[in-house]
Amino acid sequence: MKIGLEVHVQLPTKSKMFCSCPTTAMEPNNAICPTCLGFPGSRPVLNRRALELGVEIARFMGCIIAEEIWFSRKTYFYPDLPKNFQITQYESPLGIDGQVFLGEKRIGIWRVHIEEDPGRIKRVGRSGEEVSLVDYNRSGIPLVEIVTAPDMSSPEEARQFMSELLVELRHVIGTTPSDEQSVRCDANISVGEERVEIKNIQGLKNLEKALKFEASRQAKMLEAGMRIVRETRRYDEERKVTMSAREKEFEEDYGYIGEPDLGTYNIGNFARSVVTAETPLRRAQRIAGEYVLDFEKAKQVVLTSMALADVLEALAKRVDPEFAMNWVLGPISANWSAIHPRLDQQVQADIVRVVGQVADREITDSEGRRRIGAIAAGEYPDDISCAVADSELDAIISAFLDSNPNVVKDHATNPKAANSAIGHVMKTAPGKYNSKEVVEAVKKEIEKRR
Amino acid sequence: MSQCRLSPEKLRALNQKYHVFCEIAEDLGALDEYPPHFHFSAKDNLCARGFQARAGSRILEGYRPPFDATAIARMKRFGGVLLGKTTMDEFGFGTFSTNSSHGIPLNPFDQTRACGGSSGGGAAVTCLLEDHVALGVSTGGSISCPASFCGVFGLTPTYGRVSRYGLIDYGNSLDKIGLMARRPEALRTFLPVIAGPDPKDPTSCTQAALDLSPTKVTRVAVPEEAMANLDRGVEAKFTEALDLIGGGIGIEVKRVKMPSLKYALAAYYIIATSEASTNLARYCGMRFGVQNKNVSQHFNDFFSETRSASFGNEAKRRILIGTYTRAIGFRDRYYLKALAVRQSIISEYDRIFQEADLVLTPTMPFVAPSFDQIERMRPLEVYQADFLTVPPNLAGLPHISMPCGYLNSLPAGMQFVAPHWEERRLLVMAENWNKQFQTRFPEGCP
Repeated sequence: MKIGLEVHVQLPTKSKMFCSCPTTAMEPNNAICPTCLGFPGSRPVLNRRALELGVEIARFMGCIIAEEIWFSRKTYFYPDLPKNFQITQYESPLGIDGQVFLGEKRIGIWRVHIEEDPGRIKRVGRSGEEVSLVDYNRSGIPLVEIVTAPDMSSPEEARQFMSELLVELRHVIGTTPSDEQSVRCDANISVGEERVEIKNIQGLKNLEKALKFEASRQAKMLEAGMRIVRETRRYDEERKVTMSAREKEFEEDYGYIGEPDLGTYNIGNFARSVVTAETPLRRAQRIAGEYVLDFEKAKQVVLTSMALADVLEALAKRVDPEFAMNWVLGPISANWSAIHPRLDQQVQADIVRVVGQVADREITDSEGRRRIGAIAAGEYPDDISCAVADSELDAIISAFLDSNPNVVKDHATNPKAANSAIGHVMKTAPGKYNSKEVVEAVKKEIEKRR
Repeated sequence: MSQCRLSPEKLRALNQKYHVFCEIAEDLGALDEYPPHFHFSAKDNLCARGFQARAGSRILEGYRPPFDATAIARMKRFGGVLLGKTTMDEFGFGTFSTNSSHGIPLNPFDQTRACGGSSGGGAAVTCLLEDHVALGVSTGGSISCPASFCGVFGLTPTYGRVSRYGLIDYGNSLDKIGLMARRPEALRTFLPVIAGPDPKDPTSCTQAALDLSPTKVTRVAVPEEAMANLDRGVEAKFTEALDLIGGGIGIEVKRVKMPSLKYALAAYYIIATSEASTNLARYCGMRFGVQNKNVSQHFNDFFSETRSASFGNEAKRRILIGTYTRAIGFRDRYYLKALAVRQSIISEYDRIFQEADLVLTPTMPFVAPSFDQIERMRPLEVYQADFLTVPPNLAGLPHISMPCGYLNSLPAGMQFVAPHWEERRLLVMAENWNKQFQTRFPEGCP
């Protein structure tokens, strides 16, 4: 099975792509002006931020970036399209031939370009008496279109691609969960030779459902010896089936020409200057490689929070990375909702210190957990942790041996004599020192007094 | 300033005779104020507050743009009083202003003849009113042609010199807003007013600064190809003009070859109609202009119904041509090839400008034809009449048409073309010519 996607994501700009209307939702037809309504005499002026965000995405996907780009008119008649042409990019996408990875698997990116969104049609009224209303608030909002190679091999994988893409875009261009509600995609799927396109699927769940339905429909047809026709279908969210869109057999002809009002833009230098921050999944990949850790666990950490990944990386430099991962996914994650808001350099240093002490067996696991809890509660360093400093172990033993001199004497013939001193330490400072550490210290002090 | 006092009533009387305005201002009050204001008109495809902007088309009936075109706003700020909107071919589609839904302007020299197009109304008003300046628009010669037929000076600046904000598009990569006046001095006054970068039109923002400082024109080039297919009388008047330029004015006239000129017309009509067919897609009876009330039908039928009923024949013809030339399978052969031809024509002009300051040709191959003659012309013949005005337009070069002689009392025109951004050469040439040549204007002021 081969699946390829054309994903449309709204770019988080304050104003629209070619006018200064706001992009935030309002009452229908409130964020409109002569330009985004296509009034005769109006003219588009490019919002540079939209171009920059598009280039940042293309760079992030490792695309080859064009030096010079221009826009094109894609002409088709539809009531939600004010000019009856859409300003998009045709011959000169921002980037081509990129890639992203789903774990180990490479998904090719064919092209990345930006374009304006049309308005939105709403059908109201009872069946049979329906009225179509058009809201042009969305008209002219900038979109990025990302076209993948047909490299995905299951509906689940397609959904995973989309969901990971959205996570990454939050970090690349600052999209928010509310931007993600508007994500749409067209999916091409072929079980056999011929492919079918499912148009305009809204949301991740619908994508997976639509593809599953379509995959099984195609499989059944092939089993029955039927031929799959190349066509465009749409997904009916309520009935959960794909249906032929009954469009003409031939490919639609959009009669592309250049958009003469916008001219050309040299984006090469800008593209070279873009530094994309490390995104969560890229970071999980690096962490897994750099510290030899399980990718799925690393992914779990970065998806919880990039700050938790900071803690993980700080710990992995101090203690065995596997040990660090267990503490991060264990006690630290368990307290994360309390730790995260107060996380700063000091708190992170405290965590490293505590886990380091556990690793060095200076303190027990349970004491370590208790101290992580204390950090989470903002009560670290606490009384117990403060009262008995590490160096005080020798003092406790010394004092005990001073008042019990026969322990040293008996120890020469019976090593078990040391147990009374060890027991005393455990009683005086419960949980503070691990037993191995105490045994060593007692032995050392007795030897000294011989 | 004017020898006769203008009023809306007088303008209406003038209009009854010549059909030059499609809408006249209700109030010209500011004209009487001190300091004195000046009057101007605007082609109907330029948006102005308070006026409809119908671009000569029925489909824009009732469209009142909520903004002023930048050129109009700048004229007003300079003290201009907008008399009205002038008649034109629908969307600029025509050579005689006969494809107009709001009146066909009649030539002030002879009312049985056309004014030329597509800025016909504006050229006629300029001819009729002293001290008037008209804002025209040229895509493929729509300023030069009517200036020639109406015997006035018509300046088309470099593409990108004047902001197109507020202009109802024909072919965006070709459209240029320019000026028409009886005297070249008026062009020198008003070009700096309307020129200059405007953030509302990105293509105006990369222009070289307008420099109108004195310059000398020493040599003009006359392409041999321009002398073919000319009306005998026009050819004679043009030759006389060449003698005057070479003699009295003392400018060297050099004959050159420009073989690629013959491809300009075809390339122009492909690019212009390709762009026009997308620009006109928005007119569908939904958001502005004509409203189609019959909403209980499929949107395709709704759109077709409006467009079939409200576009004129020439608009339909150009939409069809332009849709064809950019369709899959034809795009490479027509649209993309035309873009390449445009580049080679620009290169050819560049080559000529290495050895001459200006290129000179007649403007139109004939003088203003009568409406009867026009009726008998086939569309292709009409298109071919533009063969001298189209090349500089296709190349985005500044050019000017001016009267060069009178044939049976009808003006013939000649057209100078300058390198990009060198409008000053055209103004110097026009001023020199105007000192040597006696222009004539019919009695117009009512």
